[in-house]
Amino acid sequence: MIATVSRDAALIVTAAGLIVAAVALVRTRRAPLALALLLDFFTAAALLHLAAPPSWPALGAAALTIAIRQLASNALKAARGARHR
Amino acid sequence: MSLADGFGEQNLEDVVSVLVRVVEAAGAAIIFVGAAIAFVRVLLLAFRREGMDPFAQLRLDLGRFLVLGLEFQLAADILRTAVAPNFTELAQLATVAAIRTALNFFLGIEIKEETALVRADKAAAAAPATGAATPGTSAKPP
Repeated sequence: MIATVSRDAALIVTAAGLIVAAVALVRTRRAPLALALLLDFFTAAALLHLAAPPSWPALGAAALTIAIRQLASNALKAARGARHR
Repeated sequence: MSLADGFGEQNLEDVVSVLVRVVEAAGAAIIFVGAAIAFVRVLLLAFRREGMDPFAQLRLDLGRFLVLGLEFQLAADILRTAVAPNFTELAQLATVAAIRTALNFFLGIEIKEETALVRADKAAAAAPATGAATPGTSAKPP
């Protein structure tokens, strides 16, 4: 029951993230901001996925999502720092 | 009669697993509500002309919801260690807890940095206004 609900919630949050990123991109024309928002929503989805009783593939997927998020977030931060300098 | 006999190990496991489910569900609900609020705010912002700042503030608020939800989920992990019966479950639990702790740490750092940036942006936006007002006031005759 909890597994199904949390997986459905994760799916909804992923879809919302895609819409939010598209809206932010159209509205601000700033790809890094849209990407950051997308990654935030994907992180929320990964956390919701982890709320279900864990399995090794689900754990691997969540760890990978979060690692990619950190990598992209650091890259965006570095790019922003270089632009400000 | 010992306390363990009276209460029963099975009963304790049942109580802890109910608690784990409640705390875990609360964490998931907080994360979902945070994402839903952020989604609605983005849609509202899309139809307003307010500059870029609201998006930074929005990310900050979403990050705070994620951290709060994560803390509930970590609490559930700690409770779950009381009833994890075998090594595989314990290893999975340790992995989940490690992922959540690392993410909690990184999100905390990001929120601090993002808060500083938002404050700096607000200060920079306020500075020209104050700068423009000061010469006007000083030029006023006494």
